[in-house]
Amino acid sequence: MSMVTTRRRARLESFLAAQVAAAVPAQTANLEIDELRLYPVREPVSGRAWTVVRVGTRSGLAGYGECARASSEDLAAAQRFWLGRPATSSASSPADSPLSGAMDMALLDIVGKASKAPVYRLLGGPTRSKARAFASVEGAGAAVKRAIDAGYRAVGLPVPAPAARNQGQAYQLELRKLVETVRSQAADFVLEGAGLLTPGDAASVAAAIESLHPLWFDEPTTIGSLETLRKIADESVAPLGFGRDIRHAGVFQDLLRAGSLDVARPDILHFGITGSRRIAALAETYYVAVAPRHEGGPVATAAALQLAASLPNFFIQHIPLPAAAEDRAMRAQIAGGDLESVKDGFASLPSGPGLGITVNEAVLEKYHAA
Amino acid sequence: MQRRGFLALGGSGLAWAARGERRPADLCGCALAPQPAGSNAFAGLRSGVAITGLKVFGVSLTRNSDRPYVFVKIETDQGVAGWGEGTLEGKAGAVMACVNDFRDFLIGADPMQVEHLWQSMYVQSFYRAGPVMGSAISGIDQALWDIRGKVLGMPVYKLLGGPIDARGVRGYYHTSASTRDELAKLRETAVQQGVSCFKSGIPGYYEWIETDAKIRRAVASLQMMREGLGPDIDIAIDFHAKTSPSVAQILVKEVEPLNLLFIEEPCPPENVAAMARIARHSTTPIATGERLVASYGCRELIEMGAIDILQTDINHVGGITGLWKAASLAGISGVSMAPHACEGPIGGLATLHVDAALPNFLVQEICGQVRPSAQDKIWEEWFGFPAMRMVDGRFPLRDSPGLGFELSEAALAKYPFAGTRPMARAFHEDGSVAEW
Repeated sequence: MSMVTTRRRARLESFLAAQVAAAVPAQTANLEIDELRLYPVREPVSGRAWTVVRVGTRSGLAGYGECARASSEDLAAAQRFWLGRPATSSASSPADSPLSGAMDMALLDIVGKASKAPVYRLLGGPTRSKARAFASVEGAGAAVKRAIDAGYRAVGLPVPAPAARNQGQAYQLELRKLVETVRSQAADFVLEGAGLLTPGDAASVAAAIESLHPLWFDEPTTIGSLETLRKIADESVAPLGFGRDIRHAGVFQDLLRAGSLDVARPDILHFGITGSRRIAALAETYYVAVAPRHEGGPVATAAALQLAASLPNFFIQHIPLPAAAEDRAMRAQIAGGDLESVKDGFASLPSGPGLGITVNEAVLEKYHAA
Repeated sequence: MQRRGFLALGGSGLAWAARGERRPADLCGCALAPQPAGSNAFAGLRSGVAITGLKVFGVSLTRNSDRPYVFVKIETDQGVAGWGEGTLEGKAGAVMACVNDFRDFLIGADPMQVEHLWQSMYVQSFYRAGPVMGSAISGIDQALWDIRGKVLGMPVYKLLGGPIDARGVRGYYHTSASTRDELAKLRETAVQQGVSCFKSGIPGYYEWIETDAKIRRAVASLQMMREGLGPDIDIAIDFHAKTSPSVAQILVKEVEPLNLLFIEEPCPPENVAAMARIARHSTTPIATGERLVASYGCRELIEMGAIDILQTDINHVGGITGLWKAASLAGISGVSMAPHACEGPIGGLATLHVDAALPNFLVQEICGQVRPSAQDKIWEEWFGFPAMRMVDGRFPLRDSPGLGFELSEAALAKYPFAGTRPMARAFHEDGSVAEW
């Protein structure tokens, strides 16, 4: 090694050492992760279950996220990966863990709290001041009225269960009547296929209802062959939404390339905030909107609303409508407030740093799902 | 009424908007009629910081520089200021003017709301982006991220979820070494310094169809490089769009056994199908993207599976916001990121923050040599640390808020703007225009 190189090297090393020794901003001082806990819970009436993840740091700041379900092996694997890492390093998250979406929410919650800003502000938002919302209902009539009374102006309406493969005219008429009833209740609707229909039936249904202007036709059929989905898209102008069975973001790329997707529906529990933002960035280049799926609890609702306020191409957020007052109370108690209330079709953005909720662990224990 | 409209537009900019009034009618009648709903939607959600000043600096290190740096400084009412870069080779004056065109979008706005402001600048400019507007937005975007990081007390890479690798960001230098001796020396220095990758070009200019002699010469130069640097140093080769697809496809096939890290811009960027045609002829990874603007500009390349590596430049693609989004598209399709950086130090330092938070990051460019140059000395004077110099083959990450540096206007004053200069021009033997 020449003299010049040695001198230069020494100088660079002293520069590095000075950087390390420099005063670390107080907010980022002790964000090393030192605890990971799971709280599986179940709603008392609906029986809907999900899991809250608590991430603790040496600073004492804790963050919360939510996933569908996770085994003790999943938890152990996540602990091996995350304990000792800084809470700021959410981009390191392994994509294949059932906890990855929850970890992303929890880490952003911690970083937001550390910098005293809502997550949407960490991410360059707000891009909107409130988030349009819809709730799934069991059918037209009383169920729709319940959603409208709760403040919704749009509902997710399930297709009638098909009796067999390949429906005839009676099914189309039944469906049309259902949709017209919802229309008469002054509600916009997402027609929820839930993957129940064959591709042929899905195409017929899409063509039959396109002039009734559903917001979109959700999961018209299961995602099998891309060419089959393209045929549904080609035979109708009803917008199509997919996401229920998508666990790899590359599927969204394939659907967008094929021109078969109008509403990208990443599952917030699986993709978290960051994964959903990546999918949204992809969808943006196809001028396609994002409406994340959400079948979980209030922590994920907070995450979804923070996400909505950070995206340019957010359209509407699905919020699980509690089946009973006990379920609603439980969800509000967990989040330390009712952030799931909807007014004139919109949910408010959570206020406060991080996800904007104060999780009550005693309530999580109370509703522990065995 | 029309006269009043004229006065309002010519005089006080968007004062009418600040007062919450209707937009005055334009002479063509195409102005928005009512004040749109949502104009004041964010009144209750402001961060408490407001933009008060927008400055743009042209900085010429030499009198004849074809790429005077275009630096943007945004000032706020809380005393925090942010810096960004929108240097565009050969078009400094245009970018500086374009930055100033965005003044009405920015003064009085909440600088923390960068995604919203980005959308506003891009979408509401109507013509979407070309490289001039993309570079102007890039400079503004970086400055806004710098402010946000400083206000929140976080380095930008932490706001983005990084660092994935705390040791820093792997990088490469350029080299023009071509003889056996030069390459042996380069290898020795690289091993000493821990540098693991270099980029070089192919010799000469290329016509639409090339001769046996020219093709052999190009292939031999790359073989020499691999032999000289050894198998354990990565080699990237920039074709710089000098070759037509017809010539490039021969070269990418014949250099396949050299296992290059990538071949860059084997043809010009406008025709994605042409790029894909070249890529189909070789397993050598193909990289491109430095001239692309916004994630929109990268969509077709990624959708068609034409490339292995995306090289969007933080000074043109739309700043930190644009680079992160382009990288997200790329990552979803398994495409790696090797961002371009061949302008000034602010864009270079900003790009490290994004790199540090990308799961699909490969390697970062800097247009510098393994031995520091006069340019490196100037950058060190400006920032107080050796900006964009690697340690053990990586650019270190600084743990200070925002983009992680302080820069004084006085330091830049030594290098006043010497005007826009065109990029270098090359010609074939018969005088026709050549790519370089």
